[in-house]
Amino acid sequence: MRPKRLVSRLSGTSLLLVVGLLVLGSLGGNVALAKSKKPKPLPTGNPTTQTTLTEAGSSLLYPYLEVLAPQVTAAYPHLTLSPAAGGSGLGIADAIGSLTSLGGSDAYLSAADALANPGLMNVPIAISAQAVDYNVTGAPPYLKFTGNVLAEIYQGKITNWDAPQLASLNRGVTLPNLAIVPVRRVDSSGDTFIFTSFLTATNKAWANGPSEGTTVTWPAVSNELTAEGNPGMITVCAGTPGCIAYIGVSVENQAIEGGLKEGLLKNKSGKFVRPIESTITAAVAAGAGATPANLTQSLIYEKGAKSYPIVNFEYLIVQKKQKTKAIAEAIRTFFSWAIKSSGGATPDNLAAVDFVALPTAAIPKVDKAIQKITG
Amino acid sequence: MITSQGGAGKSAGPAGPQAGRAVRDRDLTRRDRLARLGFLFAALVPSGMLLFLAAEMIREAIPAFTFSGWGFFTGEIFSFGQLYALTLSHHNGIVAPHGATYGALPFMVGTLASSVVALAIAVPVSVGAVLALTERVPYRLQSGLSVFLEVLAGIPSVAYGLWGILFFGPFMAAHVYPVLASVLGFIPVFRAPVGFGEGLLTASLVLAVMIVPIIAATTRELIRTVPILAKEGALALGMTPYETVKVVTLPYVRRGILAASLLGWARALGETMAVLMISGNLLDRLPVNIYGSFSTLAASIVDLLDSALTDATGMAVHALAALGCVLLVITIATNLVGRLIIRRASGGVPLPIGRGI
Repeated sequence: MRPKRLVSRLSGTSLLLVVGLLVLGSLGGNVALAKSKKPKPLPTGNPTTQTTLTEAGSSLLYPYLEVLAPQVTAAYPHLTLSPAAGGSGLGIADAIGSLTSLGGSDAYLSAADALANPGLMNVPIAISAQAVDYNVTGAPPYLKFTGNVLAEIYQGKITNWDAPQLASLNRGVTLPNLAIVPVRRVDSSGDTFIFTSFLTATNKAWANGPSEGTTVTWPAVSNELTAEGNPGMITVCAGTPGCIAYIGVSVENQAIEGGLKEGLLKNKSGKFVRPIESTITAAVAAGAGATPANLTQSLIYEKGAKSYPIVNFEYLIVQKKQKTKAIAEAIRTFFSWAIKSSGGATPDNLAAVDFVALPTAAIPKVDKAIQKITG
Repeated sequence: MITSQGGAGKSAGPAGPQAGRAVRDRDLTRRDRLARLGFLFAALVPSGMLLFLAAEMIREAIPAFTFSGWGFFTGEIFSFGQLYALTLSHHNGIVAPHGATYGALPFMVGTLASSVVALAIAVPVSVGAVLALTERVPYRLQSGLSVFLEVLAGIPSVAYGLWGILFFGPFMAAHVYPVLASVLGFIPVFRAPVGFGEGLLTASLVLAVMIVPIIAATTRELIRTVPILAKEGALALGMTPYETVKVVTLPYVRRGILAASLLGWARALGETMAVLMISGNLLDRLPVNIYGSFSTLAASIVDLLDSALTDATGMAVHALAALGCVLLVITIATNLVGRLIIRRASGGVPLPIGRGI
């Protein structure tokens, strides 16, 4: 039995060696196996019984999972993915409580959560980014912002669109005398996490005050508004002249259609960039080498002249130990399908929500993590 | 009556003062005994649930109260702290994330302020509406118009919230609040800035709309119980319809209106979803003015729960349980105070008819 299992593990040029091992194995029993350190990979494939994987969480990841859901069922007829939005905090909380098979989150597990829940893993399936949009009648698109200025807006220190800080960033543009209405998420949100991570990286007062998190204690600003989910951010911002909002790129098309304008953000090299494939990829490339084995990595404010500053891994948070072997296999199947360009991570799928694929360097690490999911 | 016999029945002997009861017990059929047990259980469920709920809530809340001390009630900042930092802060022997501060004062003030303002608007409106419906509108139209009140009561609160955030709030902020600010600007809390439609006044107005049907429906039933003879007598004495309402109808139902208002108040105190959507959800200070962002105990519990569950020290959940305790106490306290007011108002006179005549 065992030598046969080895055959399925190795392929290509190593096949010859395996044939040799097979002979040895059949002759010498366990000797050959003891020498091979690589365990046989846990199986993936179409589950033998109908299996539905439930997901809840990030409203930034949700549109992408909606794209993947019918395709994964087409590839594996017994596998159904049932995604839902609700905010990254909900995704993490549901994964901790095993309320859903997968918890969607733009935020990785905090170090404390990872320590407290050793059975939990964050597995990235794509790369996302966040746009900063505004609704200012008469103003052109692509106004320039820095993290520092955004932090001051969200602290109520800059309150008007014609403030000198904005004027000096946008020379040649006449901005109206209009109150700035900063909109923030009311639900527990990964978008809030990555946005506040950016503010934390660029503004000292922010780092020492609200800091970063899926919910932060926002400074009181007299003109502020709140919204539920990314769709809510678009609705509220589109209905409020003077508004500024942080919106996940997966719904950026709807935001632009809704009349919002996209801002440029200043990156670490001092360049102003848009959240498009090339700038997101540049940020990923800058951080790609440093992805740790637990896959917990911030891609906020990465180095590089082309790098967009608010880029993040889109995580699905999952329990390593599943209730049954069948469910574990279904989850492994979904993950290994979802991260590969031959599976769910096709350019078309990713482009539909303006995501980019995981860096090639990260794929083996993700594959290794997937292998830890057992029943 | 049946349940009160439960305890005595088991130990009752055939002799002595309990003989009568024992005989009756013996006469009970098996089905009667089962029913008695069932009733006893049903009677214990509400009180048992309240005790169980309160006990669990307090048990969950103790670490947060210990951590913050009196600061829980006087502190103006509610923050889970930096959940992504590894540094922890220790206070009163309790470990919490770095920067965690649990101050519930803004929520307590927000809960009371929004519900009281809502009540102040809703009571006159509902009593006026009901008086108009029952006293002035032709009988045939009454039931038709009353349907509206009942439908209003059945609308889910999330629909009110959506209406509030998409239409009502922005409309009021653009057209009504600026006028209010210029007319009532001499009162500090009414001064600008009026914001963009999320805040205390918007929430109070939406709450008022939500509790009008509760107060109105109860008041309508009460007014129907006013004896027609008393009203006819008043009219026969030459009183105008207005005087009749003032002298006969209102005194007769006054206690009932207070009770109805109490029901409405309880709803306003605990209303969660609609308030969450239009409150502006401010966690770190008292509202700047009546238009300003704020939050309530109920709304903040919902809003913060998901993030709280990601706090590995567990303190965030304890803090939310503490908010729940405070809400429980406020609800029970207002209920008791309300009952006291009703008792005072009725003055022990069961039917205050003709008191003014």
